[in-house]
Amino acid sequence: MGKNRQHRFEMLSWAVRLENRSLWSENADQGNTVYGESLRKFSGIEYRRWDPSRSKLGAAIMRTRRDRSYLLPDPGSTVLYLGAGHGTSISHLHDHICGARNDLGGRIVAVDLAPRCLRDLTHLASLRPGLVPVLGDARKHNAWGVLLPRKVKWLFQDVAQSGQVEIFINACRRFLQINGIGLLSLKAASERWTGEGEDVLFEKVAEQLSETGFIVEESIKLTGYEDNHVLFVARRVE
Amino acid sequence: MWLWYDWQAAAVADEDGIIHDQAVWDGFFDQRALIERLQCIANGGLTQEARLLQERFPEAKAAIHGTVELPDADWPLPSDGALNAADKAATEMARQGVAQAAGDPDRRLEHLLRASDELRATFLTMEARLVEWVGLFLPELRFGKDRSALPKAVGEADSLSSLASRLEVAMPDVGPSKSEWKSLREWGESTAIFRGKLDRLENAIRELSESHLPSLSIMLGPLLAARLCVEAHGRMRLARLPAGTVQVLGAEKAFFNHLKTGAAPPKHGHIFMHPWISRSPRWVRGKIARTIAAKASIAAKVDAFEGEPWTKEMVEEIDKKIEDIKAANPKPKRRSR
Repeated sequence: MGKNRQHRFEMLSWAVRLENRSLWSENADQGNTVYGESLRKFSGIEYRRWDPSRSKLGAAIMRTRRDRSYLLPDPGSTVLYLGAGHGTSISHLHDHICGARNDLGGRIVAVDLAPRCLRDLTHLASLRPGLVPVLGDARKHNAWGVLLPRKVKWLFQDVAQSGQVEIFINACRRFLQINGIGLLSLKAASERWTGEGEDVLFEKVAEQLSETGFIVEESIKLTGYEDNHVLFVARRVE
Repeated sequence: MWLWYDWQAAAVADEDGIIHDQAVWDGFFDQRALIERLQCIANGGLTQEARLLQERFPEAKAAIHGTVELPDADWPLPSDGALNAADKAATEMARQGVAQAAGDPDRRLEHLLRASDELRATFLTMEARLVEWVGLFLPELRFGKDRSALPKAVGEADSLSSLASRLEVAMPDVGPSKSEWKSLREWGESTAIFRGKLDRLENAIRELSESHLPSLSIMLGPLLAARLCVEAHGRMRLARLPAGTVQVLGAEKAFFNHLKTGAAPPKHGHIFMHPWISRSPRWVRGKIARTIAAKASIAAKVDAFEGEPWTKEMVEEIDKKIEDIKAANPKPKRRSR
C-alpha cells in the first residue's frame, strides 16, 4: 500500500529530510527524544521531528526563499553556536554534523551564560559526543576561544540581549573564516527602540553588517514561527 | 614581536610570522591540570609556557590565540588528541559550573520564597473553605481572630458530634453523610499539614537569610530581607540599587503608573511589611520609608561585600531615629489650599 502512494520528500543533507511541510533529522541518539518531539521511521531509519516553532534555525530553513540546504554547515565540520539555550536547535544540528557516535567527527562548540541552560546541554553532551558545552559569556572570547584552534565556516548566534549585532560582528571577526557563513537571529525587542518601527531596525542592522565586511545573503523573517525575529544570513568577505 | 599562546603551547614570532621559539605542554591527559589551565586562561592569566617565553623575549607582546592583530604563522596548534582532551575538560567545566549554581544562595532563596508564597496562597484558600464548610454544619461556631486550631481539631475528630463537643457547640439536626464527613475530616487534616509545611518552609528561609544577609536580616527581619533580595534578583544586584529603588521595590505597578500618568508616587514597596512603617501613622510613613530604605541599602552593601555584620545595637540606633521622626511629626501636615 505504502509503495504506491505518491509521497514527496527532499533530502536537505544526508540527515535532514523535508517531508511535505515538516522537517526531520536522522536521530543520532536512537530511541531517545530531546524535547518531546515525535519520532518516526522513514524506510527503516529513525528520524526526529524538527519543530520550527521551537528552533529558529528550523524556522529559517522553512522560511528561506533560497536553496534550503545552504543554511546548514558541512557535515563533519566544526561550528560555533553562541546562545545555545536548552539545546533544541543544537540537537538537530548535532544529528546533521556529527551523526550517531560522532562517526563524522564534527564538533559543535555551544556557549551559553545561564547555568539552567547548561544543565540540559551537559546532559545532551553526555549522550551525543562531538557536542562541547561551554558555560560562559558570548562576549568574552578569551575565556573559551582556545577551544577553537581554527576558524569555523559556520557560526550561529541567538543571544537576545542588547548589542547583539556588535557581539555578532566581533565573534565573526575572530572565529569565522573568510567566505564562511554567519547566522544572526535578531530579536527586535532586545534592541533599543528608536520609535521608527521594526522594519527600520532590521534594515539598519543589514546596513551595519554590509558596512563591516559582510554580504547579507538573505534576511529571513520568522513571523509565524517566532514573531518579531529576523534571521540574517551573512557571508564574511573581508 | 608577538608572543602567541593557548592552553597547550606558546610561541614567539615576528611580524612576518616567522617563529623564533616555542614551548609545548603535553600533560593534557591529566584532566585536572587541563581544567586549571583553561580556568587560568579564562581569568586572563598566562600559562607556564607563555611565562617562560615571556622571560626569554621580554619585548614580545603577549596575545591569546585568536587575537585579531596576530600575524599569520604556523602556530603549534593542538593535535587531535589534545583537542579531544580539551573538549572533555570543557564539558567537565560546564558540569562543575552548573553544580556550583546549586550553591548560589540567591537562587536557593528565590525557590524557597516563591514556594512559600504559593503554599501560603493554597493554605489560606483551604483554611477559608474549611471554616465555611464546618460553619455550615455547626452554625453556632464563632471564630475570633484565631482559627488556627480548627484544622487540627477537624482532622483529629472521629465524627461531627465529637468535634462539636470538643468545640463546645450544639449538634445540628442535619449532619453530613458518612462519606461526606470523611472528606471534610481529610480536608481539615490536609489544611493542618499545609500549615506545618508552611512553618518549616519559613524557618528554612529564615535560616538561609540570616547567613546570606546577616545585616539586612537583623535590621528588617529575615523574611523581609529575603524578599528584597529575591525581588532585586540577587544580593549583589540589591547592593547596587539606589536606596530610592529599594524603597519602592514591590510597588512597581504604582511606580510605573506614576511615571506614566503623573499620579502620586508610591511611598513604599515591600518594606511596608515592616512594623516601623505599617504601625506608624500615615503621615510619617513616607519619611520613615525613606530612612529605612537608605539604611537597608547600606545593610545590603555590607552583606554583599561581606563586611562586618550589623549588631542589635546598631539597629536600635535606627529605631531611635525613627522615633525621632515620629516625635517631630505628631500631627498630619495641614494641606495648603
